Amino acid sequence: MSRLVTLSDAELVQHCRAGDPGAWNELVERYSRYVYAIAIRGFRLSDEDAEDVFQDVFTRIYTRLDSLRDDSALRPWIAQLTRRRCLDALASKGREVPAEEVYSVDESTDLAEVEEAFTVREALAGLSESCQDILDRFFTRDQSYRTISNELDLPSGTIASRIARCLGRLRDQLEGRNDASEGSRE
Amino acid sequence: MSNDYLDLRVGEFLEQLSADEGAPGGGSAAALTVAFSARLVAMVARCSGESWGDASGIAAQAFVIAERAGALVQSDATAWEEALTALRHAEASTADDERKDFQLEQKLERAAAAPLEIAELGADAAALASLAAERGAGEYRADAAAAAALAAGGARAAAHLVLVNLGVRADDPRLARALASDQVAHDIATRLLESGR
Repeated sequence: MSRLVTLSDAELVQHCRAGDPGAWNELVERYSRYVYAIAIRGFRLSDEDAEDVFQDVFTRIYTRLDSLRDDSALRPWIAQLTRRRCLDALASKGREVPAEEVYSVDESTDLAEVEEAFTVREALAGLSESCQDILDRFFTRDQSYRTISNELDLPSGTIASRIARCLGRLRDQLEGRNDASEGSRE
Repeated sequence: MSNDYLDLRVGEFLEQLSADEGAPGGGSAAALTVAFSARLVAMVARCSGESWGDASGIAAQAFVIAERAGALVQSDATAWEEALTALRHAEASTADDERKDFQLEQKLERAAAAPLEIAELGADAAALASLAAERGAGEYRADAAAAAALAAGGARAAAHLVLVNLGVRADDPRLARALASDQVAHDIATRLLESGR
């Protein structure tokens, strides 16, 4: 695992500002799905339009990173850039909608789900590789306990308990994040 | 009428199950049985949270298994109907048509995939039931044993449907997987039911 993967957003921004090309790659890797998810799930853009938004958002991040005032606020900044660019894309297609009407209940729910999914993904990255692997196998790849047991060479009777313990650690990570974000608002 | 069985009331689904049509049939009933089992495990885990540290993690897995099994109630019926239609066409046709044979083979493959997945989910539901019986609150252990019995029933029915699928030969690894899942679920259910006597 690259050392950059473990950096916080604020640290990553500092590495980018210092001209570390690996940091830029990590930033794109970390946020590309997020940008696509907002464009496609939140704003229902086509793949082609989402690709345009993606290119434009990351170009803006690259050229305007110095304008980011709080390095730890990278994610909300990217979300804002992406939303604005999505609105531009809708407007250019003749779907001009007042900004306050853009977020229908469904869309705001989808955007909230995108945020939630990303938060979980970030928390997952804080778990051990073995926890990430076993959770990915069960929840994402739909593997049975038997398949997981065979592929990881673990006793089959222990798989469900291992997954439960990893979920407990994931919950701790998420609660830690919530505590930290509540604290930072004070 | 809804095309999705999970949108039906239980009574309506049972009506459809006994209707004079091929689907829903044994596969859908097996999938629903496994979903019942997993939901029952989730209930035991959620009621045992105070005394069982892993309870919420077990409940989360049980929900996922129930969701997957629930989706198979419909998809098994669809796959089975398509295979049945293809079989009837093949029987009615006298021409030696390789393309039709290939299509039939593909439909049978799909019809075997759903019960195989149901059997594996049955084994997983039974494994969770075993943990729930061991670690769950005492007053719910009988429910955990019942969940294991349901999981074993669903797994056995599904494994049988894999066994009799015309596209599955005796040495097919899918059959071995289905039978192994049946055995796992059966062993757990037998153990839990006997220990509760």
